[in-house]
Amino acid sequence: MTHRQKLAGSLVLLTSVQILILFAGFFAPYNFAVQDRQRPFAPPTTLHFMDLRGNVHIRPFVYDLEDSGKSILVSQSDSEHCYPILFFVRGMPYKIAGVFTSEVHLFGVEAPGHIFLMGSDAYGRDQFSRFLFGGQISMLAGLIAAILSLSIGIIVGGIAGYYGGWVDELLMRGGELFLALPWLYLLFAVRAALPLHISQWEVFLLLVSVMGLIGWARPARLIRGVVLSARHRNFVVAARGFGASDLYLLRRHVLPETYGVLLTQMTLLIPQYVLAEVTLTFLGLGVGEPLPSWGSLLSSLQQYYVVSSYWWMFLPALLLIPLFLVFYTAADALQELHKSVTL
Amino acid sequence: MKPGLKSEANRIEPLLRVTGLSKQYVQRRTFSRKELTVNAFQDVDLALFRGKTLALVGESGAGKSSLARCIALLERPTSGKIELDGEDLLTLDRKALFPMRRRIQMIFQDPASALNPGLSACEIIAEPLAIQREGTKLQRRARALQLMEQVGLDAKCERRLPFEFSGGQRQRLAIARALALRPSVLILDEALSKLDALNQALILELLAELQVSHSLAYLHISHDLRLVSQFADEVAVMYEGRIVERKKTDDLFASPEHSYTKELLATVHSVESILLERSA
Repeated sequence: MTHRQKLAGSLVLLTSVQILILFAGFFAPYNFAVQDRQRPFAPPTTLHFMDLRGNVHIRPFVYDLEDSGKSILVSQSDSEHCYPILFFVRGMPYKIAGVFTSEVHLFGVEAPGHIFLMGSDAYGRDQFSRFLFGGQISMLAGLIAAILSLSIGIIVGGIAGYYGGWVDELLMRGGELFLALPWLYLLFAVRAALPLHISQWEVFLLLVSVMGLIGWARPARLIRGVVLSARHRNFVVAARGFGASDLYLLRRHVLPETYGVLLTQMTLLIPQYVLAEVTLTFLGLGVGEPLPSWGSLLSSLQQYYVVSSYWWMFLPALLLIPLFLVFYTAADALQELHKSVTL
Repeated sequence: MKPGLKSEANRIEPLLRVTGLSKQYVQRRTFSRKELTVNAFQDVDLALFRGKTLALVGESGAGKSSLARCIALLERPTSGKIELDGEDLLTLDRKALFPMRRRIQMIFQDPASALNPGLSACEIIAEPLAIQREGTKLQRRARALQLMEQVGLDAKCERRLPFEFSGGQRQRLAIARALALRPSVLILDEALSKLDALNQALILELLAELQVSHSLAYLHISHDLRLVSQFADEVAVMYEGRIVERKKTDDLFASPEHSYTKELLATVHSVESILLERSA
């Protein structure tokens, strides 16, 4: 497989994941906050094609759940009552990108029936819906933090590499200070310094800005290296000979050289920051209930009885592994492609 | 100064006069107070005349390229004077130097590295005009197309990127860019050494034409004495950072004085005799 194919493949996968997340309201059968206290920790719903009498249905259907007596819900597979899966059903209203309101869902089952593709949590909320909605906050946090880091990185790295000398020394030693910072404790300290009750958006902004502000040093170093070698290229020297200003040289000739590194760093930083968000929310520093994020989905795993009895609570974590692998594949392919272009 | 030169200098004022130019590179090592100084070139005196070519020859490491970059105002020499029409360029500040830059242009050895690989031919040629804020975007493009024709490139190729051109065409592109600002001095830093024999001859021909039509003064730097002597009016020989001999081309071939010049001429002759023997 060539790097180009690898890149195309991973980009298609990533785009489809982004679409799933962006239109979570449509793809998710339920709202992320709706509880069903009768059905806590329901296992993932199995889809059936054959009923008790041996009739095969083309349209899959589900049975409802009942208490097995051991406080674990099981599928009522001996029941006559089955609920076929319907497509483009009307359900709870939702908003897409915070603007368009709609109530059409991709799939669902009729009222007393339930469909929990990834099981339900302690409050009977659909894990699948929460996973899709949770992606909105986690991916947004990763994206904004990565953009923040790279913006600082390109400014600091560009200045350090272009001007060199004591400016370079000062900025790079400053960057090393940031690399040496125990950022997890810093985040705890910053959170502790703020009032106990702050709004979800403030928490989100705090999380994103601390992650983004801490991570600039590594990309800045890489960009500095590229700028350092680019500013001695003959075409940059030639443009200076025509009387070009530093700003012109940076904008027109030097910074375009860093775009390959920037793109690669972007694909590396996003999963890194999503994972950081997951970790921080797991520790209680992220956005709280009822808003889902991938970190808060996993935070129920802090309880031993959840870990030991309800295996489906691990599903969000398992799904994140292939997602991150796709990100890293994309970064790898980008890097290889960039290398083959410059050589 | 050599007597033969003095008479010419009296006749016409030189366009560009370099006097006592020196460049020192200072390297400081970390954890050490010792400073390592390297003299790139010392006490260089040169004079360039309108429509004339001065060839500068010397072995690699003699300081030719550093000298070229200093005269092209790409680096600052340590001491000395660079006078253009009697005005010392090194005393000017950045702002005053800005309009003077258009008068001295340089052609680099490797055209591939001297052209931004991401810009089209038209953008590359129009760049000096854009930097010097000359004309509108449309006027600059028209001028770029005109220049492309002038150096023997098809104006239809304006959208092509540098890698889509051959080595010789790339050097033509670089020459078109250098001509955009209508300079009076063109410094050719080993501008032919990366080309094959045919392209060398073609570019040399183009340069000779342009010299006449634009009355350009050339400083042609090369390690190849045979190549530059073809159309140089004067040859300066550089050895270990100093100009050791400066003479009219014919005089140099007839009566070399410095031992290094003699050595250089001997190698040219021996190469020629080998070639002659082979063809015979």
